[in-house]
Amino acid sequence: MVKCMKIYSYLKPYRMMVALALFLMLAELGVELLQPLLMAKIIDDGIMQENLSVVIKWGSVMVGISIFSFIGGIINSFAASHVSQSFGYDIRSHLIKKVQAFSFTNLTKYPTSSLITRMTNDVTVLQNTVFMAMRIMLRAPLLIILGTVMALLVNWKLALVLLISIPVLILFLAWVMKRASVMFRFVQEKLDNVNGVMQENLMGMRLIKAFLRKEHEASRFNEANDALQKKTASSLRFIEVSTPILLLVMNVGLIIILWLGQKKMATGTVQVGEVVAIVNYATRITSSLSVLSWLIMSISRAQASASRINDVLDTKVDLLDTKEESRGNEIHSGEITFKDVSFRYPTADTDALRNITFTAKAGETIAIMGATGSGKTSLFQLIPRLFDVDQGQITIDGEDITTMKLDILRKKIGFVPQEALLFSGSIQDNIAWGKDDASMAEIITAAKDAQIHETVSALTNQYDTPLGQKGVNLSGGQKQRLAIARALVRKPKILLLDDSTSALDLKTEAKLLNALKSYTCTTLIITQKVSTAKEANQILLLEEGELIAKGPHEQLVASHSLYQQIVLSQMGKEGLTLEKSTSHSS
Amino acid sequence: MKRVPPTHHNDKKSKVKMKNWMGTVKRIWSYLETNKTMLFLVLFMVVVSSGLGLLGPYLVGVSVDEFIVMKKSNGLTMMLIGLFIVYVFYSLSTWLQNYWMIGIAQDSVYQMRQQLFGHLHKLPIPFFDHRKHGELMSRVTNDIENVSSTLNSSVIQIFSSVLTLSGTIAVMLWLSPLLTLLTLIIVPIMFYGMRWITGRTGKLFKEQQRNLGSLNGFIEETISGQRIVKTFSQEDKVIEDFIERSKKLKQSGYLAQAYSGFIPKLMNMLNNLSFAIVAGFGGYLALKGQISIGTIVIFTEYSRQFTRPLNDLANQFNTLLSAVAGAERVFEILDEEIEERDEKDAEELSVVEGHVAFQSVSFSYEKSGNTVHDVSFGVSPGETIALVGPTGAGKTTLINLLSRFYDPDSGSILVDGHDIQHVKRSSLRRHMGFVLQDSFLFQGTIIENIRYGRLDATDEEVLNAAKQANAHSFIMKLPNQYETQLMQDGGGISQGQRQLLSIARAILADPIILILDEATSSIDTITEVKIQEALQRLMKGRTSFVIAHRLNTIQKANQILVLKDGAIIEKGSHRSLLQEKGFYYGLYNRQLEDTAN
Repeated sequence: MVKCMKIYSYLKPYRMMVALALFLMLAELGVELLQPLLMAKIIDDGIMQENLSVVIKWGSVMVGISIFSFIGGIINSFAASHVSQSFGYDIRSHLIKKVQAFSFTNLTKYPTSSLITRMTNDVTVLQNTVFMAMRIMLRAPLLIILGTVMALLVNWKLALVLLISIPVLILFLAWVMKRASVMFRFVQEKLDNVNGVMQENLMGMRLIKAFLRKEHEASRFNEANDALQKKTASSLRFIEVSTPILLLVMNVGLIIILWLGQKKMATGTVQVGEVVAIVNYATRITSSLSVLSWLIMSISRAQASASRINDVLDTKVDLLDTKEESRGNEIHSGEITFKDVSFRYPTADTDALRNITFTAKAGETIAIMGATGSGKTSLFQLIPRLFDVDQGQITIDGEDITTMKLDILRKKIGFVPQEALLFSGSIQDNIAWGKDDASMAEIITAAKDAQIHETVSALTNQYDTPLGQKGVNLSGGQKQRLAIARALVRKPKILLLDDSTSALDLKTEAKLLNALKSYTCTTLIITQKVSTAKEANQILLLEEGELIAKGPHEQLVASHSLYQQIVLSQMGKEGLTLEKSTSHSS
Repeated sequence: MKRVPPTHHNDKKSKVKMKNWMGTVKRIWSYLETNKTMLFLVLFMVVVSSGLGLLGPYLVGVSVDEFIVMKKSNGLTMMLIGLFIVYVFYSLSTWLQNYWMIGIAQDSVYQMRQQLFGHLHKLPIPFFDHRKHGELMSRVTNDIENVSSTLNSSVIQIFSSVLTLSGTIAVMLWLSPLLTLLTLIIVPIMFYGMRWITGRTGKLFKEQQRNLGSLNGFIEETISGQRIVKTFSQEDKVIEDFIERSKKLKQSGYLAQAYSGFIPKLMNMLNNLSFAIVAGFGGYLALKGQISIGTIVIFTEYSRQFTRPLNDLANQFNTLLSAVAGAERVFEILDEEIEERDEKDAEELSVVEGHVAFQSVSFSYEKSGNTVHDVSFGVSPGETIALVGPTGAGKTTLINLLSRFYDPDSGSILVDGHDIQHVKRSSLRRHMGFVLQDSFLFQGTIIENIRYGRLDATDEEVLNAAKQANAHSFIMKLPNQYETQLMQDGGGISQGQRQLLSIARAILADPIILILDEATSSIDTITEVKIQEALQRLMKGRTSFVIAHRLNTIQKANQILVLKDGAIIEKGSHRSLLQEKGFYYGLYNRQLEDTAN
């Protein structure tokens, strides 16, 4: 409960507006309570006395105050809307800031689809509840309290029945709400699942179509959808039980009042008018109960959503930016050293990397080779601190990267992932992603070096050509080159190419690698191609997370059997012998 | 089985018609209507509870008069027991109507989701190329949820409002037609007021839902691409962009909520206005002796009741409006043309030998400049065709056309002599096996992912496929082996391993036409050599299309098509192409030199 309430502290900045809205709501309620009095006046003093001027007088007063309350209501509407929308907006802002601070370990805890529902759907639920709260929510409870107080004032002995039944009702309601909010939490989780299946289907649409798995996916979706439907229905039904029960309890109370009233009248302790008045209040209280179940639903739903949002906001970020200022402001030379680095993914039970030690001198090109799953990509991810090492240390320019400011570290790293991962937006936007203030000239230079400029120029809209999500309207090689341009535009000191040229033909690749030579940066390149590796100053050979060989091509080809096998696989014996003969001759 | 509401996609006119508000409401109704019996029961219960709701207070009134005011004591117990029974049934009928209504509402929402999902799968690939995933997801969650939360309560409220309204109007007419007419003066004001507000808010709610969708899309994209966001330290930019979208949502939501908030206030004011009018004119008439005072008193009481149910409804009007906006966005998708539309006369391809022919095929994507023009070639069953050429030459495009993800602008593609434009997509793809460029895996276990190739495959067959694809050894090293859960973003295994799994998946599918689009690009060359053998075996007896950059992998192909800028510039076997000393010769030598020097 307390945890859920915390979210409402986001209302604080708007307390004046909240106060205004609540005040207006109370004013409206006052007007509403005044109306029966005015009506009574019109009827008793006007119509009954056949005095038209009184009717007109009080009639206009009534019209006057209802116009007044209408204006108040409209201001209330704007105020409530302003508060609730700003409240939602603030929560969303906090959520995105939090999520952007998440490490990958944090992110694995929340599937993307769940984060999305939390940031949109759950916030909307809260927002609507706050809006309603400032408009009508307090009315029903207030009417009940006022009604009871009035009844007590009339005759407290008789009204005791009301006084006893009301705390019972409140306890009952509290219990219903508590259970319902748990149930609604499950509903939201089911919604996450539906969202998740949906997301997967959209991502894998091509594959699903290719393998004709529409029915299979439909049954998966059906399962998630069915669960959501059942859970929603059972939660709502649970809440809907409460109103009939409340009504029954109150009505039984009414019956008891009637019975007691009659008994007490016989002994003369109660006046006729008093019984009538109390019966009247009891019916009024009962009629405002029917709104309650709807209120309970809103509140329990909001509680469920609030706790889901709090979960995200309360998550402890486990990869923190350093507090202290870095000594050097920037990476100058780009020398990278791995000292005894071991690393294990949070969900895995074996090390992805073990005792890796090597140094890449400033300006060097290091090729990293190894079988699939040998840890090449894992090694890359440690450099921009997507994950932190478990053991050992990585230094850049002699400084431990965990003591560097994250954005200073990452600003000088150009990372090109295996999967190009582009965003929807124009080509220009995608390249400029690497450097916010990149000029058009810089973008074009980067594109030229990445060998994509010609392709882009041939498009009708050139750099303004919009890309679909993940750049779907480009070929694999084009995506890769755009991703490279994105990394180059920031003129990195460290360039990380994760098998980023696999979809390029050799000619383009050669041109690209040649263009890279004009960049003064330390380049780490994961590759399958011996031709690429050969150009590197050093080759690191990984096997099952361990560094099993390092050295330049000539050295490895002469001495290392696995490397020889790799060369063999690509060029046949001819390549290997040719290789040996050239290395012998040199 | 229940009748499922029509999807309207084959009715062009409906698209325009559905733009209006009432149209959408009617269409939502068509979902509820599928449960006619239940709906009738709910309606019946509403009548019962309304009746009991009136009977209860009436009996209380009688008891007060008889036993309290007149101080009778005979029959009090009987009366109170009677009252108790009325109240029990009142509660019961209230409960039942809600219980059933929730069932109907949730079932409708379920159907809507189901239909939306099913329809999405019928849409052609180009549809998805221009939309963000998150934006579409928002329709399944946020938009439909809006409908869901409204249907539960609003329908009952509308029922009982209509009931109370007609009841009150009848009594009012009976009491005094003249005063009734006076009371109804407010109806036109109410009507125009509501129209003004809904006209305004309808658009605003639509915009709010659109903005919510766009925000959803943005979140989905940036969280999926978090790796890039982080490595390029663009968190601040993402936050900024997010906040900009969030602000737009706030603005449209602000106005939508505020305007729709007018409705209950308007109702309230009109309520009072009508009371004043009745009191004033009634008093005037009473003075003239045309009407009795008692009638006015009762009448004012009824006129107050007149707007009360509407008032209740008005309080929830904003959710109703946003539900309509949400539903409209769902129907928008349901009205999108499906890809099978043009296939009314499409035939089934039952048995395929594997002849494939492209006849002067031309095609261009809408937005990017990638095109193919005038491509013609033929393939005999069992042959292997390699597609070679610079990136963007149109290799994947040809595959997209062959599998009918896209249809050519001109020319035709024949499979076993049938123009595939006249073949059902499903029956065409049934004969094809794919290893696509991005090796997409689903969240689930490894075994499930391989089995995706053929759902009825036994564990043994799956294992065999994995062995052939050389995936078995790495799988066995995973903590739970074949039962290892894969994360959605592919966490847990490497890109190359993903490719091995998708090869295993294609092997299991056992197709006549095999398509390998850069199937081994992320796999190290040693492993590649090993699976190359398996692939060769796999390709035997099948018509295979292979796209690869490492030319050594395709030398055995029966035919090599060299593509450049969307056109075939050379074709022939490896040997004949080398003899030709053209583009391919250059490519090949370059690759050889590259590795050699």
